[in-house]
Amino acid sequence: MISQVFILSSQGDHLIYKDCILMHYSQENSLDLYLKLVGITILLSVQCPQRNKNLNFIHVRHSGLYWVVSTKDNPSPFTIIEFLNRLAALTKDYCGSLSEKSVRMNFALIYELLDEMVDYGYIQTTSTDILKNFIQTEAVTSKPFSLFDLSNVGLFGAETQQSKVAPSAAASRPIVASHGEQVRKNEIFVDVVERLSVVIGSNGVLMKADVEGEIRVKCYLPTCSEMRIGLNEEFSIGKSQLRGYGAAVRVDECSFHQAVKLDEFDTYRILKVCPSQGEQTLMQYQLSDELPCAPPFRLFPTVEKDYGSRLLIFLKLRCDLPPKSVAINVSVTVPVPKGSLSLSQELSSPEQSAELQPRSKAVLWTIPRFPGGAQLSAVFKVTLGFNAHGLYSVRSASLLEVGPISMSFELPKYTCTGLQVRFLRLSPTQPGLSQRWVRYVTHSDSYTIRI
Amino acid sequence: MSSSSAFNDEKGGSSSVGEPEYGHDPASGGIFSSDYKRHDDLKEMLDSNKDSLKLEAMKRIVAMVARGKNASDLFPAVVKNVACKNIEVKKLVYVYLVRYAEEQQDLALLSISTFQRGLKDPNQLIRASALRVLSSIRVTIIVPIMMLAIKEAASDMSPYVRKTAAHAIPKLYSLDPEQKDQLIEVIEKLLADKTTLVAGSVVMAFEEVCPERIELIHKNYRKLCNLLIDVEEWGQVVIINMLTRYARTQFLNPNINESLLEEGGEKEFYASDDDEDDEEKKAEAAALAKRKPYVMDPDHRLLLRNTKPLLQSRNAAVVMAVAQLYFHLAPKAEVGVIAKALVRLLRSHSEVQYVVLQNVATMTIKRRGMFEPHLKSFYIRSTDPTQIKILKLEVLTNLASETNISTILREFQTYIKSMDKDFVAATIEAIGRCATNIGEVRDTCLNGLVQLLSNRDELVVAESVVVIKKLLQMQPEQHSEIIKHMAKLIDNIQVPMARASILWLIGEYCEHVPKIAPDVLRKMAKTFTNEEDIVKLQILNLAAKLYLTNSKQTKLLTQYVLNLAKYDQNYDIRDRARFIRQLIVPTDKSGALSKYAKKLFLALKPAPVLESPFKDRDHFQLGSLSHLLNTKAGGYQELPEWPDSAPDPSVRNVEVPEWSKCTSRKERKEKKVEKPFYSDSEGESGPTESADSESDSGSRSESDSEQTGSGSESEESVEESQSEEEEDEEEEKMKKKKKVDKSQPKKSESAESKIASEIQFLLSTSVAPTSSPQVTPVNNFLSSSLASDLEGLSLTDTVLAPTTIAPSASVRMYELLHRITGEGLGVEYCFNRQAFSPDPHMVAVQIHFTNNTSCETKNLHIEEPKLQSGMRIKEFPEIDMLPAGESVSVVMGIDFCDSTQAANFQLCTHTRKFFVSIQPPVGELMTPIFLTENEFKKEQTGHN
Repeated sequence: MISQVFILSSQGDHLIYKDCILMHYSQENSLDLYLKLVGITILLSVQCPQRNKNLNFIHVRHSGLYWVVSTKDNPSPFTIIEFLNRLAALTKDYCGSLSEKSVRMNFALIYELLDEMVDYGYIQTTSTDILKNFIQTEAVTSKPFSLFDLSNVGLFGAETQQSKVAPSAAASRPIVASHGEQVRKNEIFVDVVERLSVVIGSNGVLMKADVEGEIRVKCYLPTCSEMRIGLNEEFSIGKSQLRGYGAAVRVDECSFHQAVKLDEFDTYRILKVCPSQGEQTLMQYQLSDELPCAPPFRLFPTVEKDYGSRLLIFLKLRCDLPPKSVAINVSVTVPVPKGSLSLSQELSSPEQSAELQPRSKAVLWTIPRFPGGAQLSAVFKVTLGFNAHGLYSVRSASLLEVGPISMSFELPKYTCTGLQVRFLRLSPTQPGLSQRWVRYVTHSDSYTIRI
Repeated sequence: MSSSSAFNDEKGGSSSVGEPEYGHDPASGGIFSSDYKRHDDLKEMLDSNKDSLKLEAMKRIVAMVARGKNASDLFPAVVKNVACKNIEVKKLVYVYLVRYAEEQQDLALLSISTFQRGLKDPNQLIRASALRVLSSIRVTIIVPIMMLAIKEAASDMSPYVRKTAAHAIPKLYSLDPEQKDQLIEVIEKLLADKTTLVAGSVVMAFEEVCPERIELIHKNYRKLCNLLIDVEEWGQVVIINMLTRYARTQFLNPNINESLLEEGGEKEFYASDDDEDDEEKKAEAAALAKRKPYVMDPDHRLLLRNTKPLLQSRNAAVVMAVAQLYFHLAPKAEVGVIAKALVRLLRSHSEVQYVVLQNVATMTIKRRGMFEPHLKSFYIRSTDPTQIKILKLEVLTNLASETNISTILREFQTYIKSMDKDFVAATIEAIGRCATNIGEVRDTCLNGLVQLLSNRDELVVAESVVVIKKLLQMQPEQHSEIIKHMAKLIDNIQVPMARASILWLIGEYCEHVPKIAPDVLRKMAKTFTNEEDIVKLQILNLAAKLYLTNSKQTKLLTQYVLNLAKYDQNYDIRDRARFIRQLIVPTDKSGALSKYAKKLFLALKPAPVLESPFKDRDHFQLGSLSHLLNTKAGGYQELPEWPDSAPDPSVRNVEVPEWSKCTSRKERKEKKVEKPFYSDSEGESGPTESADSESDSGSRSESDSEQTGSGSESEESVEESQSEEEEDEEEEKMKKKKKVDKSQPKKSESAESKIASEIQFLLSTSVAPTSSPQVTPVNNFLSSSLASDLEGLSLTDTVLAPTTIAPSASVRMYELLHRITGEGLGVEYCFNRQAFSPDPHMVAVQIHFTNNTSCETKNLHIEEPKLQSGMRIKEFPEIDMLPAGESVSVVMGIDFCDSTQAANFQLCTHTRKFFVSIQPPVGELMTPIFLTENEFKKEQTGHN
């Protein structure tokens, strides 16, 4: 049972506050006590329910906002966390985008939403289709939608690198068109998002590889019409099953949204769904231990000690993507010994950059654009400083301290598993304009190269 | 719009209406307007006649409420608008009312009549919302009105209104607990509701108002189980939690007769987990003779079966609810299914991961085998937050066993290089725990840890020292080298805890390092004054121990240290010094204690036990907040212990409806709904095909006494038999075949053996008819019309329709004779997928006649079959008379010889003949057989 719901800004200001059960003490009492106890800095780390007198607080973080629930009794923490996640998703659906600004502009709307979702602390419903009947307030958007924004279409699912990719305005507008709007855009976005986590051993052997993928749909169609999404016909699930003659697109496990109809899936690999308005994940899949292609990056590191107190790190980085593909926002993090003081580097092109991060003691090498098949190399000279016992000399121990290198990157228009959307059909065909977009991206979740 | 902008101009407003700036305080029209005045403008807007103005005002007011600003003084102005026609305004007024009604009770009463009118509205949404707001107005005077409204709404036509009524119950209860008895009546009524929309909400109300009235659930138990899959997700969570508690009070512990259940032999996996098991088994062996074997209550099985598909839910709360249900209720052998689902949750948000890992950590302590296959999923990623890393480490440590320890240790090795120091410290501790738990790797771990001592990072070294100290305590004799090595470290290590640990270690095992120990003491004496308190205490300990073992060399040093300590600032240290001096230095006055000084200081200390912090968590119900916090949260209800003897299961029986009696014809001794093998909707059932649908033993008790008399053994096999098979490989068929033969009745045997040699067998190539006449055949015939009846009734019936993700569609009907061509006689047929008892090679075809004419039809029978070679027909017995408007079902057998050729024959009545043909779909050419659960599993593992 939920007692209170809060939405806080990243600074800890109250944006939304709702008392589900009147608690007879003001919000300042409970929440401020909570903030005092927890402190905004601790709030930043992974949440866990915080206990404070009779109230338990649970919070999650979405788009720089804190979504907090307080409860007096013993609900399942999952229920609360799941509820908060849904609340955030619904707010995003209704307000277009999720930010402090959009929440501020839509107080009334969000409060109304909350009012419908939670009745006296009990969760009533979180389904867009049901809520649609009740919500009367219109969303206020920060800027009008324009087609020009489509030139740099980013992904609404791309949370990890959102700062670097301009969020597409096309996919971030309220699902319920306001009455004043003349042209109702009948659009549907289908995104295939994959997250890659790879561990490569010091000998260059692929030790672990996992791909987690999902197909997301964001639907702006006012009426529910059936959508058919055709996947690769060679798509196979599990190890034993093989389909088609070409290179199979294989995943280990697959799970679907409960609204997806699978009667044509077995034979034709077609997902049928009547998407409700808003954003939803239609299908999630995983592939572990085996990649159909080579891992996108190979690194050949050499670490040597120079005379005196210097460490030489040679890095040769090769991109094994097909030549047409390109990786963007590539960054390589090389942990260096604790006593490192300064860095001098030799890089192959001016657009790259490298710096020593003083706090985490790591060298960060960033490459804005990295085409497939290319190879880059870099030399880092790290000067070690003093410690309590005197000068750091480069011993073999400090070579050991050059830790596993981690990389992060983004591969637009590329899926590691090879999953493709063959077609996207709406039936019956929508009257008037309906636009369909299919987008692909692969993110690095955790890409580690041990040395 | 224009008017409101004009209004704003008038006020010299700071914001234009087209773009209201809620970012600032929405109500602050001007800088100089006081609070009083500020609300004035809103009041004015609310009093105006224009809806747009009202709406604007309400939006601003609600925005104030949302931000936690006090807007209560606007109450009179707002409440006037409760009857506003504009739905948008009305909505926001409701929102406001719910928030402030309690504070302004008198004024709130003004609005009541509006809601009472709303309760009579023809629109269900308005009725529901009126009830919702009415019940949210917390004013004691209106309790009777609320009660009345709830009672009325509970019998509303619309399920949505009934759902709202269920939600209103806990609200009224908290307002006035004295209404409990009346409310329970309403709950009882709503519990009997058959719609899924209501089920979740009423169980919520039940849990809130009267969780102790468990008897209210009895009659609804089976219905709730069957409905569960269709209830909306938040309701599912509540129902599953309630059913967990219910099952704990009503059923027997399925693990009580471990040894009996595990006869299959495949489950030693879990058997080794608990020490209790062994004891239990011994006790079992003794008690075996007298105790009846454990048979799971069919209702218990029903619950497990119906919740299993929910493991696929996309709502983490539902998955976890099912997981805890299985963990607390399922037989050990079946708990494994939840592991995969929980591992799947690990790919979710980090918050979800955190809670899942907490639960997994608890489970791994009790049932290690469950998660062992998923070891890799718990490997740490560089992007994980620290708390999650530490929890994963915990899980990995719990999962470590002789077989996988080398992989885990290798993984740990790389973790030590991480930049996250807390995590590194936790890793080292985890290595220590692995070393204590698994004897074989203790030396390897110790060596690894000793290597870490040369690490540059002080924290790493310190943590290693602490862990090594604990490990050495287990077998100090063999490790004097390590102790020496650590003695050398004392010069460099600065972390007090680590220094203290080293000193303690040297003192404790000074006889293993007789030469080094005094030297260390000498060094320490030099730096004594600069040490931390914790180190000083250990120096004193070291001195005392050395004095007792090696007084010749250390006497003076000890005296010196004791003197230093005597004047220390810390009283603990002064006390300790005084105490030690009295104890070890012999003086005239020294008492009897000093004789025992050696025993006191050098007593053998038990090795510390490194155990998981999750060890004692399992007494909290998994998945609850209390479990997460490891303390009781308010309102936590202990999960009841299993009862010693099962309460009466018949309380869950619901009255047997008519149909089940009228169908008890000669052959239909058992009623059973079967999941179709190859129904069109099979694709949907994909993920849950393994969900077992077992024969219904609830209705078994109703079957004829003739059958129950056939011995408890056959009864059990019926109980466990699987009516669902997905595989049709040859070898499996053979097995099935044999099984089927076993259950052939004796009478058909002679007839069969005559033909057996001549004909090609239908399903297998080599089958010898075996005779086992003692076993009574289990024929499960069910006419398709009944099947569809069953679907409708399954909510209330004793028949446990297997509700899985796939809709439990009935067997498909084909048309044999249309009622127009048949001059009023309509004939349909279906493959009922039951064994055709007279001849195992024949496929049972159920024929369903309906007489649509106004006069009766006589002498229905078959004539002149025109068959392909090899095909045979076993006709149904002639139907003498079919009265007008009635229908009847019969079963005939056809041997299709494994082909899909049609069987043609004539259907004759007393007046006419009709040419008809039956063509079997490929999927129907099968023989149903019964497998025990174990056999079924064996088959499955064999093929997948």
